[in-house]
Amino acid sequence: MIDKDKIVSVTKDYLVGATTSHGYVVVYNINETCSVPLDEANTDYQEIQEWAKIEGNNIIDNGA
Amino acid sequence: MALTRIQPAAIADDAVTADKTSGVIRPNAQPFLINGGFNVSQRYGETATSFVNNTYGLDRWKHYLAGSCALNFQQLGQASAIVTNLQSTSGINYTNCLYLDCTSAASLGATDQMSVLQLMEGYVHNPLAGKAMTLSFWVRSSVTGTYCIAFKEGSTKTYVVEYTISSADTWEQKILTLTDDTLANYNTNTSVTTGSSLEVHFTTRLGTTAQQTTADAWNTGNFYGTSNQVTWGTSTSDVFYLSGVQLERGTYTSATLPPFRHESYAVNLKRCQRYYNNYGGDNPRAFTFDGQYAAGSGNGVGDSYIFNVEMRASPTTSSSYTDLTNASSVSVAEDKIGAFIEATSSSSGRIAARFGASGYIRFDAEL
Repeated sequence: MIDKDKIVSVTKDYLVGATTSHGYVVVYNINETCSVPLDEANTDYQEIQEWAKIEGNNIIDNGA
Repeated sequence: MALTRIQPAAIADDAVTADKTSGVIRPNAQPFLINGGFNVSQRYGETATSFVNNTYGLDRWKHYLAGSCALNFQQLGQASAIVTNLQSTSGINYTNCLYLDCTSAASLGATDQMSVLQLMEGYVHNPLAGKAMTLSFWVRSSVTGTYCIAFKEGSTKTYVVEYTISSADTWEQKILTLTDDTLANYNTNTSVTTGSSLEVHFTTRLGTTAQQTTADAWNTGNFYGTSNQVTWGTSTSDVFYLSGVQLERGTYTSATLPPFRHESYAVNLKRCQRYYNNYGGDNPRAFTFDGQYAAGSGNGVGDSYIFNVEMRASPTTSSSYTDLTNASSVSVAEDKIGAFIEATSSSSGRIAARFGASGYIRFDAEL
């Protein structure tokens, strides 16, 4: 489970050929990585939304 | 007196009530609290592991910890004398228990708190709402005195029940009763669907900040016990064991409590897998894929995997494919019923992703 205080970065993830993102790649605890779906019932997704509200935090979108 | 035969004609109609029979006449019903016998431990097996705040240990059992006290948790199995002692004491073949072992003692601070808890999903909890219910468990501790169970609706409302551990290092069964809050209040405060609903906290340490003054009643606020709660963890000799946790609809005593519903390991595991799936180690073929791409840079191969049971929510995925062939990254797109896993290549040719000996893939939809 991700703690928003330990999130390093959040980047939108895309499958090959997709034009819309299916989720986030999250780096947390310095160097751990996980994939978080766009599902409001997912507690890590909820934590990312709280993290994104904090000034200076931005979800990176490198495009498809 | 042992009951060997029921003769309906001998039982007065008003002697059988819904509360008295609800726990008995449910042969296919599943326990409200999942993994109450602590049989499933997908994350750590029987390895002693540091107890970390806001993380899960044995399946479905979460940890809250604030303050300087440090401890390990561990699943104990049949090889443990503690477990065989539980069997001989209870007369029931519990094969596992949860073990807490203080590794760094600390005096109690005002904001200290420690509990092992289960967050019940709304769909699982709903039948209990507004009803009388009974929590039963077997507990053993080196620290005697008053302990607390906190039933909570998130941080909105709390009902604390106290119990006493009378003898040090001795298994004791505790049976506690209360009336659950109404479904309307759960619908307002927490969840009646796939979100977190009733929380059941086994508290072992509690500073003054989160102490409730009145036990045995629903109170507004975020509490974990009363001022009577003993302080476990002031000595590295402190240990705590828990097993046979069952939550029943209805009011029961030791004479009427329905028997612990032993599930097969497979059934118990499947219920746990609605919230967490761990693949790796001895099942490296479960999420292996291999393919060929000739189109060049930017392409990938992938495969879809269906979960054993629909998960509570689309899960978070963490993975370690330690044996990647010509693959620059692995992407995962999840939903409740499965995941599509794709390895992208930086050049044409064969692309493969397999677990190495230490590889894993984990899907987490816990509350």
